[in-house]
Amino acid sequence: MASALAAATGDESLLSAGLSAATRLEGDLCLDSLDLVALGAVLRDRYGTAVDLVGYVAGLDIDGIIGLTVGDVSDYVNRCRPPQRGPLRPAQQPQ
Amino acid sequence: MSRFLIVTLPLTGHAHRAVAVADELTARGHEVAWCGPKSYFRPLLGPDAVLFPTGTRLFREQAGHGIAALKSLWEQYIIPMARFMLPAVNRAVLAYQPDLVVADQHALAGALAAHRHGLPWATLVTEAMELTHPLAALPRVDAWVRAQLAALGQEAGVTGAGFDPLCSPYLLIAFTTPALAGEQPFPGHFVLVGPAMLERPGAFAWELLDPARRQVLVTVGTMAAGLAADFYRRAAAAVAPLAATVQAIAVGPRDLLPDPPGNVLMVPSVPMLALLPRLDAVISHGGMNTVCEALAHGVPLVLAPIRHDQPVVAAQVVRAGAGIRVPFSRVRPGQLRQALVTVLDDPSYRAAARRISDSFAAAGGAPAAATHLERLAAAAR
Repeated sequence: MASALAAATGDESLLSAGLSAATRLEGDLCLDSLDLVALGAVLRDRYGTAVDLVGYVAGLDIDGIIGLTVGDVSDYVNRCRPPQRGPLRPAQQPQ
Repeated sequence: MSRFLIVTLPLTGHAHRAVAVADELTARGHEVAWCGPKSYFRPLLGPDAVLFPTGTRLFREQAGHGIAALKSLWEQYIIPMARFMLPAVNRAVLAYQPDLVVADQHALAGALAAHRHGLPWATLVTEAMELTHPLAALPRVDAWVRAQLAALGQEAGVTGAGFDPLCSPYLLIAFTTPALAGEQPFPGHFVLVGPAMLERPGAFAWELLDPARRQVLVTVGTMAAGLAADFYRRAAAAVAPLAATVQAIAVGPRDLLPDPPGNVLMVPSVPMLALLPRLDAVISHGGMNTVCEALAHGVPLVLAPIRHDQPVVAAQVVRAGAGIRVPFSRVRPGQLRQALVTVLDDPSYRAAARRISDSFAAAGGAPAAATHLERLAAAAR
């Protein structure tokens, strides 16, 4: 997730920012809706077209968006991926 | 001649547009009255203006950015302010008997009172959040805003089907142009007149500007003082190594930047419209006022949006090619310097800003807004 966030925002300090599952994208990382669109594009490129972060966020209510965490996004990506592929890892990586 | 009642908010970006339009209406012989907090509007309008006073609510920034800031803007300010102003606006409508109510889009009491009294009303759109539906990708956020509006309307006894206090069905005047906001099929009663600019008085030590260097203004506007210090430190570190070619003017209280580098002037305020012809770039948070004033003078921008409509404005400027967006909270001095040098050195940014400037000039500004308002008022009489 740290590498996807760094790629989406162009901010490499996120790689060493000590992200946790509870880190909020908006409240803690100051991501805005444009950053979310960029993150969605990075995740789709890495994990396939079934991953539609923008669509997922569009389904959230206002407090869900405000409270959206790194853990929520990684759980969402894992739910989108076929179960045999296991936890969040780049698609091209050997299983 | 017609009578106009203007209802707006005690915030620079909102009130100054209305003043520019009101000055134009008054110059044409119309009568203009105001309804808003006296503590803000009396000093702004002067002793002779007709002002129906309301009390006020301080705009306390509750949340820093993003959707949380949007939620707090509505819950802590726009809705309570409407509730607070509405009785005074209702009384002003009855006492003044205007031909037309002119309501800022976020001064909801104006729309509610006009609708209740069966008067035509016009909307002034002074920011970027409600014109182009930038939150269309977040339908449940939009639905939440609509629910706040519906509850307010119900409370005010205004529940007409299709009544939308954000958009007058008669006339909506937006202080932008499609060159900035984006080309799209706006309804026929929407007119985009470009910025209505108003000089803010302020002494300025012109002799300190070095004509041999390029001039860059750094400002985060009037609303973000609490967040400004850290950004100004990074902006100062960004421009310090450019001392041979760049001079920066940073606007704000002196304690924001107690020990500025030699090429940074820290000044409490600037006469913006007089200064802009001398500027080569503006670094800003992306408030509509600052951005439109800069673009009207063909000055390119580096934008570090904080909240509300600022990310939307920044995205519009980037799409138009007139500036670069950087992250407000995360941008480091080197990245900010790179963005600044790019807009200064690559002529495409200034060319794009000039294209928007041309569109603003063609759109007519405050005089065009006044013409639309006087036509609607005359039709209503």
